[in-house]
Amino acid sequence: MFDKILIANRGEIALRIERACKELGVATVAVHSTADANAMHVRLADESVCIGAPPAKDSYLNIPAIVAACEITGADAVHPGYGFLAENARFAEILEEHEITFIGPTAEHVRLMGDKIQAKVTARDLGIPVVPGTGLISDFDEARAFARDIGYPVLVKAAAGGGGRGMKLALFENELETALQTARNEAKAAFGDDTVYLEKYLVHPRHIEVQVLADGQGNAIHLGERDCSLQRRHQKLWEEAPSPALNENERVRIGETVAQAMRDLSYRGVGTVEFLYENGEFYFIEMNTRLQVEHTITEMITGLDLVIEQIRIAAGAPLTLRQEDIRFNGHAIECRINAENPHTFRPSPGTITHFHPPGGLGVRVDSGAYAGYTIPPYYDSLIGKLIVHARTRNECLMRLKRALGEFVVDGIETTIPLFTSLISEPDIVDGNYDIHWLETHLAKLGARG
Amino acid sequence: MTQKGASFDKDLIRELASLLEETGLTEIEVEHDGKRIRVARGVNLTTTLTTTGDVPASSEPREAPRPGKRGSPQSEEFIVHPGTVTSPMVGTAYRSPEPGAPPFVEIGSKVTAGQTILIIEAMKTMNQIPSPRAGTLIAILVEDGQPVEYGEPLAVIEQR
Repeated sequence: MFDKILIANRGEIALRIERACKELGVATVAVHSTADANAMHVRLADESVCIGAPPAKDSYLNIPAIVAACEITGADAVHPGYGFLAENARFAEILEEHEITFIGPTAEHVRLMGDKIQAKVTARDLGIPVVPGTGLISDFDEARAFARDIGYPVLVKAAAGGGGRGMKLALFENELETALQTARNEAKAAFGDDTVYLEKYLVHPRHIEVQVLADGQGNAIHLGERDCSLQRRHQKLWEEAPSPALNENERVRIGETVAQAMRDLSYRGVGTVEFLYENGEFYFIEMNTRLQVEHTITEMITGLDLVIEQIRIAAGAPLTLRQEDIRFNGHAIECRINAENPHTFRPSPGTITHFHPPGGLGVRVDSGAYAGYTIPPYYDSLIGKLIVHARTRNECLMRLKRALGEFVVDGIETTIPLFTSLISEPDIVDGNYDIHWLETHLAKLGARG
Repeated sequence: MTQKGASFDKDLIRELASLLEETGLTEIEVEHDGKRIRVARGVNLTTTLTTTGDVPASSEPREAPRPGKRGSPQSEEFIVHPGTVTSPMVGTAYRSPEPGAPPFVEIGSKVTAGQTILIIEAMKTMNQIPSPRAGTLIAILVEDGQPVEYGEPLAVIEQR
């Protein structure tokens, strides 16, 4: 086991990792920018090192400063948390060169899954279902044959594309020729390359992701799924486990597919394979080779501490848990409490004048906030996560409603009122939502004024 | 609080103490004729510490002392003195180019803008810390081999 872990992150996740280290009896080093000198993760760590100026590139993304902080404190491992350097393969390599353990997968796996095209090819080769698509399309007849084969709607995408440019949707066959032509023209104009390909288009998908735990020695298990369909601008706001949409067979099938793929890859650490899910089918989006914000709900329903498992594996311990040891117990929901206006989502940095987190059975708040804490304007707006756990989804919703009612954060605006309003939406109560639901709902509210 | 050796310069300590007041610093350390004097003030106490004889020479390879739990960076408090040079990086500060060598600059001596006053080792690289201005080095705030944080005060150079 490590003697001392340096936590290369800030906010609630730095605190979360410190908690795991303390329970393992491992000393902790917090690093921080000058803007975070009074942050809770700095206060609660055994040691702290100021590594740079407020902008993340000067501090939390500053690799030489973080390595130097390891050197002066004698830390023998680094936990990157999520975001910042968590999926930076070069960082993992540099640490290795300095004989410091990167608590995560190999640099090779980080790099592989960081390249979205390589990741998709790898996933397909490992037997993970991907969105059906073509190679480069040379003419209309080829496109039509493919579209008839997989069914409409289809998406025409520029091979050199990005940012939505050179991307056209064909809902029916009579729209395909125009879509193909327009996508080609746009691609030519935007990228100087008019090659395109076709992909199946999912109309009402849910975002469902599978949590895996692997030891890099050929052992891997899955810890069930999380449903993170409630998103705004690709930012997850509400996550739940298990998904209200999956049945036991689907869960076992996709879980085992992913776990087998991780065994074949000899993956190490925690990881999440993200899917779009529609009509009983899963389609790979990407794999995150790190701990995720919403790992907490998996912890609630499995009773496992994912960070402790992650640290043990990084220290070289084999996975002792077998798939049959994993029992899913009850239902958990996480709400991301952001320092944002609940209607416009404009960031609301400032000083928290009063802070009262909810409590009681099945309620967990992961947060570095406290009364008197000033939220710096340099980083993301997440100030805490409210996680509730209960025996059933209905009980969980009631408990969430109760906990949201207790939660007091004064002095700044937060997303708490948004969640309070969502609780009484019939679609939310029924678990009947897809990845577009929240944005559509917010647009309706906006129109109503 | 340690007092070793018979003679120490009370006047110098008084002078340093008044300098503390004047500059708003919490700690000043000076070295002269093999004697090191540090004057520091905590929340409500003033400590003086003198050592005689050799400053412990750092041995090869240089082992960085482990910093203990630090308070919030003293930066805001220290930066107020216009002559304070703060650390541009995390690392280990050294006062001389190699163990046993004389320091880059002695306390009380004149420095030119750009003259190296310290080095900070980070990731096995020695980074020279230049004086930002011409003046007199009136204090070095770090010990040889001391780990430093970003923004930590390193030295005070008084402009002439």
